[in-house]
Amino acid sequence: MPTRVITITSGKGGVGKTTTTANLGVAIARLGKRVVVIDTDIGLRNLDVIMGLQNRIIYDIVDLVEGRCRLRQALIRDRLIAELYLLPAAQSRDKSAVSPADMVRVCEQLRGDCDFVLIDSPAGIEAGFRNAVAAADEFILVTTPDIAAVQDVDRVVGILEAEGRGAAKLIINRIRPELVKRKEMFSPSQILDILSVELLGIVPDDEAVIVANGRGTPIANDMRSLVGKAYHNIARRLLGDRVPFIPILEGRPSLLERLGLTRRF
Amino acid sequence: MVPMSNAISIKGTREGLTITLGSGDIEILLQDLAQHLATQGAFFRGGTVALQVGERAMKEGELARINGLLAENEMILRTVVSTNAATQQAAGSLGLRTVDQQPAQDAGAVPSSTPPPQVQASPPMHVTPRSQQESSRGMLIHHLVRSGQVIRHTGHVVVIGDVNAGAEIFAGGDVVIWGRLHGTVHAGAMGNNQAVVCALELAPLQLRIGDLVARPEESERTLGKKGPRKPGPEIASVRDAMIIVEPWERLPRGG
Repeated sequence: MPTRVITITSGKGGVGKTTTTANLGVAIARLGKRVVVIDTDIGLRNLDVIMGLQNRIIYDIVDLVEGRCRLRQALIRDRLIAELYLLPAAQSRDKSAVSPADMVRVCEQLRGDCDFVLIDSPAGIEAGFRNAVAAADEFILVTTPDIAAVQDVDRVVGILEAEGRGAAKLIINRIRPELVKRKEMFSPSQILDILSVELLGIVPDDEAVIVANGRGTPIANDMRSLVGKAYHNIARRLLGDRVPFIPILEGRPSLLERLGLTRRF
Repeated sequence: MVPMSNAISIKGTREGLTITLGSGDIEILLQDLAQHLATQGAFFRGGTVALQVGERAMKEGELARINGLLAENEMILRTVVSTNAATQQAAGSLGLRTVDQQPAQDAGAVPSSTPPPQVQASPPMHVTPRSQQESSRGMLIHHLVRSGQVIRHTGHVVVIGDVNAGAEIFAGGDVVIWGRLHGTVHAGAMGNNQAVVCALELAPLQLRIGDLVARPEESERTLGKKGPRKPGPEIASVRDAMIIVEPWERLPRGG
């Protein structure tokens, strides 16, 4: 299988790009694939923190493109999963320290050596975004179910389309079924109606994600959790499995749900 | 529209505007240009301009005045197209790019691969017809117009697809949208109050016709809730100096 380079992007900040990147990295690696995740948010790096690897950084992506280290030296192996690696961003520099051409070069080196490269994009549509999308074959768009986030994703899709870039698929993050039911939040079908892009997955809002991020152990490591399962399903869909979308809002709540023991998503 | 002399033509290209100066006295040409810009300036606002002067020898001062006129209308003179060495030199000393023929692609344009023909994104670009003939007719956009995308056309604009919030359409003539209009539309953008805007669902952020601006009543944003009424095809037009919106069945001008 040729290496797939996928950029996770959103336009808006705070919708969960970094959390999505970390969890997809975990979920795909748990399916037996070799995965490299790259943090391109130079100056504001976070991916290392969420993955619990910040104390292992010796070299970063700026060291790599400026020739102070080799690729192997900059890659940090995950604590829990053997075939998951992080290429961290630099914290002391800014987005201009890396160019789109540098990103293409780094990804060329990785092609053939791993199955997936997941690139975590910074918010915005400026230089950092340009770096993040330069080398990608595919795109995962992350939105939360609110007007501002959806409109920003729309903008990003427009930019990618105008440049004739690869396929973009959507993850709807932090959905709250009870708000959707009360029509206080966009439903997935409304979002898809506006954006007209393919749906890759829906991730429910769950405070367990915050706890897991704080511990530096992405929730996708916990396969019993709802959100962990959601990421696992997304990973399988990325690998071409047809995993049905569990209807998030349809039908009556089961007895267990009414007792608050399980939730649908 | 105000009759214009033939000595000046303003044409839209994919890269921006091309203003061609014909023969004749430069003072008259400058007056003509000022008049053109006064009537159409708003439409072209924000555009980059290639000035085509052919063999005309132009002094630095003359070019500077044109530059000033354009700047007043928020247009940016980027290139001077001339075969005349003196003109090229004058342009060069003003820091303008000079070429001796119209480039196929503006060097300032970013897209790395072929964009869809009508729409470009980031930075906002101005999409206008490639020939005069097109401008008197219409432009057909056969896809979803997304946030941040800007469509400019001197004639009518027809969109088959939705126009999302954050998208902008500026048309010299009418705007017809076979889809939902959630973005901003300016019909009759060169001062034509007779222009109309139709959409299957007319819910723009802002609607402008000619020199009038309307915002739909700022009712509560509905999200999942159904609006007060079922959306249906509507047409917006100007009556008694006001933009009014009516359901399609009661078409104001008999179709």
